[in-house]
Amino acid sequence: MLLEVQKLKVKVEGKEILKGIDLKIKKGEVLALLGPNASGKSTLAKVLSGDIKYKVSGKILFNGKDITNLLPEKRVKLGIVLSWQNPPAIKGVKLSNLLEKISRKKVNLKEDILDRDVNLNFSGGEKKVSELYQILALNPKLVIFDEIDSGLDLEKLKDVSRIIKKELVDKGVTIIFITHSGEVLKFLKPNVVNVMVGGRIICRQKDFKKVFKTIKRYGYDRCKKYPLFANKS
Amino acid sequence: MDMTDVKNTHYLQINHKIEKTFSNEDVLIISSTEAWEKFNWTRKYFSKKPRQGYFLWVKKQVNFPLFSCVLINSKKTTQDLQNLAVLEKGIDISLFGSCLSSKPGLYGSHNAYGKFVLKEGSSLKYEHRHSWDTNDKVKTRYTFILEENTKLNYIFKSINAPGKMDIENKAELSDNASCEIKAVIDCKNSEMRINDIIELKGKQSSGQIQMRLVGREKSIIYANSEILAKAQSKGHLDCQGLLVDESSKISLVPRLFCSNKKSQITHEASIGKISQEQLSYLRTRGLNEKQAISLIVNGFLNI
Repeated sequence: MLLEVQKLKVKVEGKEILKGIDLKIKKGEVLALLGPNASGKSTLAKVLSGDIKYKVSGKILFNGKDITNLLPEKRVKLGIVLSWQNPPAIKGVKLSNLLEKISRKKVNLKEDILDRDVNLNFSGGEKKVSELYQILALNPKLVIFDEIDSGLDLEKLKDVSRIIKKELVDKGVTIIFITHSGEVLKFLKPNVVNVMVGGRIICRQKDFKKVFKTIKRYGYDRCKKYPLFANKS
Repeated sequence: MDMTDVKNTHYLQINHKIEKTFSNEDVLIISSTEAWEKFNWTRKYFSKKPRQGYFLWVKKQVNFPLFSCVLINSKKTTQDLQNLAVLEKGIDISLFGSCLSSKPGLYGSHNAYGKFVLKEGSSLKYEHRHSWDTNDKVKTRYTFILEENTKLNYIFKSINAPGKMDIENKAELSDNASCEIKAVIDCKNSEMRINDIIELKGKQSSGQIQMRLVGREKSIIYANSEILAKAQSKGHLDCQGLLVDESSKISLVPRLFCSNKKSQITHEASIGKISQEQLSYLRTRGLNEKQAISLIVNGFLNI
């Protein structure tokens, strides 16, 4: 198992956001994580990347090693990388400069955003492209994409999906894909879909199309009740 | 500053000794004392007979930048410089000046009074870098006199701040003159006083002051900036401080004075801390906390 999350709980200002998450991902798998707003998906993404602001109980194992209390930069060295949903701007630091500092692998990015300050006045699409190229430059083993598809038009979505498929999935990089959109999953064909509601994973399924149909028709909560999805591991 | 900078410099002073000067038909850089003796007309710009410092006289246009370097490399040296620069009409040049100590523990003292005269239609881009040890002390007073239709772009950078620093930069602008003063200051274990003033005396003159101040490791920064609009003119102050740790303090005072109703002068000022979100972001890119702070600070100072 590449990543194993056991009974993971997280509190923020006294409120429990993650209420005991169990998750297993094998090397090379693509795992999709769906859920309504405020279900805890982004918190889980941040916690897996090692954000120090969260107080965590439970265990996170990576390649069998306990990384629950490992600093974020050390997780990056192990190959765990997060693509931010809303990355902050860093004034005065050009994207090319940041890439130069963090790169563990050469990437050819010809976008004009290279000469601009990181995420400053970037459009939604430019932010996603910037995130993607930073991820590639870090030569990861496990990537957590937090809604990299949001705010992209269909063409850009296809481009981004193509790059993710070619540069990561086809090369055996493990992916956790947080999304609201079924479109991107058509391109990436996840091995397993998890649905998260209220800080808990309420179902797991291999067929993402069926999950989407149910969500569209009955909403997220139905996943829990629907017998098709009752095969929680 | 490395040896290449010293080699390429047109004026080099080490402690009290002038090691290098430069002259050709178009440009002259000699000691201020020599200028006082040779050129009577320079005396009106000096408050007294200078003992040290440089005189830069750009008589005709040159197509290369000029470099000056004033260095302390002996213990307990006190430099008292009086610098004078005169750009003749229509000249457009770049000047790079470095003032520094060569190593820690010299307990040097660097005092510099300077006057820069930009004659009609001339333009100066001046990058002035200071690099000292926390045992050194620095005091400078610079005045820029901008005649009609002149342009000044002055960048003052203090990257390794001395223990005590007291800086004043003042620009007086005539008709249609424009001026940008930028101060980029990174303080560690340092007490810094900086005062930047632009006096808009001429019609259609314009001035801008930008300050970026970083306080860390028990630093105290007192920063005043002033724009005085005495004729129909435009001015803007943009002063920002960044406190990196709890042990430092920054006092920022922007001041606007206007005595002409057709003038427009504005200001913005803020003091903030390092954003935790930026820090987290960079750490998820593999930088440790120290490297992330350094990158954010460098970005903040990059104006």
